[in-house]
Amino acid sequence: MKTLIKLTNLKKVFSTDEVETHALSDINLEVKQGEYLSIAGPSGCGKSTLLSLLGLLDTCSGGSYNLNGHDVVDINGKQRAAIRNKEIGFVFQSFNLISELTVAENVALPLTYRKDLSKTERNDLVKAALEKVDMGHRTKHYPSQLSGGQQQRVAVARAIAGNPSIILADEPTGNLDSKNAELVMALLDKLHAEGATICMVTHDPRGAKRAERIIEIFDGRIVSDSPTTETKIAEAVA
Amino acid sequence: MSIFSDINFALRTLIKNPKFTALTVFVMTTGLTLCIYMFSFIQGTMVAPLPFKDGERIRAVDMIYNGMTYQGTSIRVHDFEDLKKRVQSYEVFDAYDIGTVNLSTNDRAVKYTGHFVTENFFKISEAKPLLGRLLSNEDALSGAEPVAVLSHTLWQSLFAGDKDVLGKKLRVNTKPTTIVGVMPDSYQFPDAGRIWLPYTTKATGVERSKADYVAVYGVLKPGVTDELANTEIKSLMAELEDKFPKLNSNTSARIWTIQESSMGDGTSVIILAMELAVGFILLLACINVGNLLFSRATEKGKETAIRTALGAPRATIIMQMMWESVLICSISGVLAVLFSGLWLEQSNTDLLEAFPFDPPFWWNMTITESSIIAAIVITLVTAFITGILPAIKATSGDFNATLRDGTRGAQGKSAGRLSKIVVISEVVLSCALLLLSTGMVYSVNQQNNVDYGTSVEDIFTVRVGLPETEYKNLEKRQQYYQTVMAALKAKPEVEDVSIARTLPGNWASYENIAIDGVDYGKKPQYPSSNSVGVAHNYFQMMEVNLREGRVFDSRDKMDSPLTAVVTENFAKKYFADGDVLGKRFKFVETDKDWYTIIGVVNDVLHGQPTAMNIAKPSAFTSIQQAPKRFISIVVKTKASDASTVANLSKIVTGVTQKIERDAPAYDVKTLRASIDQRNAGMNFVSELFLVFAAASMVLAFSGIYGVMSNTIVQKTQEIGIRRALGADESDIYKHFIIQGIKQLSIGLIIGIPMGVALVNMLEQSSLAQGSLMLYIIIPTLISAVMFLAIYYPVQRALKLEPCAALRHE
Ligand SMILES: Nc1ncnc2c1ncn2[C@@H]1O[C@H](COP(=O)(O)OP(=O)(O)OP(=O)(O)O)[C@@H](O)[C@H]1O
Ligand SMILES: [Mg+2]
Repeated sequence: MKTLIKLTNLKKVFSTDEVETHALSDINLEVKQGEYLSIAGPSGCGKSTLLSLLGLLDTCSGGSYNLNGHDVVDINGKQRAAIRNKEIGFVFQSFNLISELTVAENVALPLTYRKDLSKTERNDLVKAALEKVDMGHRTKHYPSQLSGGQQQRVAVARAIAGNPSIILADEPTGNLDSKNAELVMALLDKLHAEGATICMVTHDPRGAKRAERIIEIFDGRIVSDSPTTETKIAEAVA
Repeated sequence: MSIFSDINFALRTLIKNPKFTALTVFVMTTGLTLCIYMFSFIQGTMVAPLPFKDGERIRAVDMIYNGMTYQGTSIRVHDFEDLKKRVQSYEVFDAYDIGTVNLSTNDRAVKYTGHFVTENFFKISEAKPLLGRLLSNEDALSGAEPVAVLSHTLWQSLFAGDKDVLGKKLRVNTKPTTIVGVMPDSYQFPDAGRIWLPYTTKATGVERSKADYVAVYGVLKPGVTDELANTEIKSLMAELEDKFPKLNSNTSARIWTIQESSMGDGTSVIILAMELAVGFILLLACINVGNLLFSRATEKGKETAIRTALGAPRATIIMQMMWESVLICSISGVLAVLFSGLWLEQSNTDLLEAFPFDPPFWWNMTITESSIIAAIVITLVTAFITGILPAIKATSGDFNATLRDGTRGAQGKSAGRLSKIVVISEVVLSCALLLLSTGMVYSVNQQNNVDYGTSVEDIFTVRVGLPETEYKNLEKRQQYYQTVMAALKAKPEVEDVSIARTLPGNWASYENIAIDGVDYGKKPQYPSSNSVGVAHNYFQMMEVNLREGRVFDSRDKMDSPLTAVVTENFAKKYFADGDVLGKRFKFVETDKDWYTIIGVVNDVLHGQPTAMNIAKPSAFTSIQQAPKRFISIVVKTKASDASTVANLSKIVTGVTQKIERDAPAYDVKTLRASIDQRNAGMNFVSELFLVFAAASMVLAFSGIYGVMSNTIVQKTQEIGIRRALGADESDIYKHFIIQGIKQLSIGLIIGIPMGVALVNMLEQSSLAQGSLMLYIIIPTLISAVMFLAIYYPVQRALKLEPCAALRHE
């Protein structure tokens, strides 16, 4: 499989007036197309920071980042925005839907930033995405009129609407009860089965187990990188 | 006890947030100061009551001619006497006359305006003499001993305050007259008089067309409305118009208060415009402060929700928020009373300097009891609007929903809607207000820079009035003109000298004319023109350009046929075919003979530079052909600095005094000064509106900026989300600018027509002038403000990395 993400000696330092926090140090990581990666570790170890760097929501303090064959460390803001738009889909712990926009408008939002889509194409993509997450019947609702689980499914639809190369999810089930959490995890499973590349931060061991590969971070460094047990079994069987 | 702790709590909150407190107090003080100032100003001047027992019921009766009101001595004495016999609405219906009188004692002569009054006049104005007695009806009988009452000023200047002045003589227009009384300094009605003489103007024995004009006033019977009295006077005047079609065509009359009459026709419109303007400013201030309080309340929304959830009664929370606004408004109210008091004092001195006349005696430009009461009421109302309403709104939400609100990253929907309404109203109010103010300032500016059609700079003028009996003979008047002109011309300081009945910028008599060959029918509606008598060299000296024909010369003698030079607008208006020279017209009321038009000159503006006056045609006649007693001597000088003017005034006074002892020069000033003084009132008003414009600009800008930046800060997280989804910086700017344009458009769509309507309202009284340029500049300016109010906060929000924006609470 093709390598989608390649991080070499990636580093992130937060400097405030008093302290320098080495949030990430010497991160080397390769993610292949179609992989389902889970990132684990104690609170404050740097998981969200890593995801932000992967998603180009923040700039790194050193090292290199190759995404889909392109070096993305030294590119300008406009290019970064374009890559976020085309290559990356985000799912956040707190859903982050825009409350003034309807479900359909929220899902359409990333597509509106593309100049090459007609309105009908956009509507088709929105419809398809919402149907995939089983929310096709709630397009006209506002986020506040939905349950947490429903909101997160809409957020997933928004993340996949533009067919990104990779889905980044930061504790997508953190704000959900177990039943809704299960629904969302099943959704990610399904997307993965259809070929999506996923990087997911999770505290939930049951959730982590659904991925193929799990990396563990401790104090800003990757301390382990291994296939999950289920994957091992599957490989062994094969 | 709980109110105490509430106030205490509110006070602590304000002290803890000095920036917030300073801003809100500043905004509120601005609004309240303007409001209280304006209220006191209007109450103290334009609508101040006459300080008499029946002051409320005293009215002026003024003539309306061709739709325009003429104040003061405007009613033909015949008409007055006819009216007096028939009016039903008045307890007192009376007239007085004003005339220039030459006063001479043994050692000098001076010229003043005299009031010719009745016993009633003193009675209704509650006059009490300082010395001696007032005038009685007997004094007016023919054969009575000529008597006069002096003002305090005149008593001082002519008799050095001599206690034994009563019984002494003074020559009034050369007639020996006994002084029977002295008035105290404080007595003024309807303006500051200098000398009071018996009213003897009579219709009997005088041809109607040669009648004097008198000032008419009355005291309404209790219970008679202005409307009723107006209807009565109008119908009586209409009957007179039917009866005397030639003299009374287009003539009617109206009654209004002495105060309104003294301020003129546009007053009520100006008052309305001022009230609207300060109302708008106060509303802007309230919206701003209310919004600041409200957005603070929503910031604390979670806290409030938690407290409500914990069982704090809603009333308590509302009260606490309200006390904050009560404190802010009270502090501002006190400051505003202070500032407006100082400002009023300043205006008082400014006006005294700028006006050519003493301000009316009923003016009282200070903070009065009623302004304090108004200030308290206004403050309480604003405190309510800015406090209670936001508090109710902020606590009205379902607190459970606030606590549960899962969709972070944006204001609540209703808070968002409110801030949009706030921005729209700021745009509406500031747009309307700026259009109104700039329209007013623009028109005043136009008026100040208007072309009078003559040269205006370095012209020095005085008026003289030749004594009536000595100058009955017209040749003698001519003789006087020649002597004065020659004597002045001989002075090295004088470049040239001429004579005119009236000067540009000053009123000319606007008279009915008839064009030869036009049939005006049985009920004639005559056209009109300014009538201005001038010396022959007037056009050349005043740089009036000849367009056609010739100006006056030696051919135009007293015994040769009457000739006239007319202005271009006269020619255009009354001789549309362009063929003017040789045509004839006459002044209907005064002349039997026709004037032949011998020349056309450029337009010359008489009266204040309003659109109506600019459009008035003028006809110049030769003072050689019709010498008048009252004239202006016009002197061209090399400069008009203070010392030249002082020197000239000495020369001219000296020369005139020497030539005719009983015709002292008065109204000594430069033409520029007399024009400027005439425009002083409007300039003052326009300066006020400039302050309104500035205040509304500051309030609107800070308001719009405050709301927009607050909205955008609250949307920091949304900006993060949008950027995470691939929006680049231009997408973010675009998003907020489109939102802004929506609010801006709604605001302008309401605000521009509102402003234009206000300007039109004032335009009818020549108080404002709309201009396409302003209609473009003002909305552009507001759009620029809006754009900046979006641009800077967005720029700041974009400085954050998207991940930081996402974490923003
Ligand atoms: N903007 C910032 N400025 C300074 N320090 C930061 C910033 N963002 C993160 N950090 C620090 O970097 C470290 C890693 O933070 P990060 O949010 O990546 O942790 P995490 O693994 O996601 O934790 P959690 O499981 O609690 O979400 C922490 O010590 C955090 O305090
Ligand atoms: Mg995290």
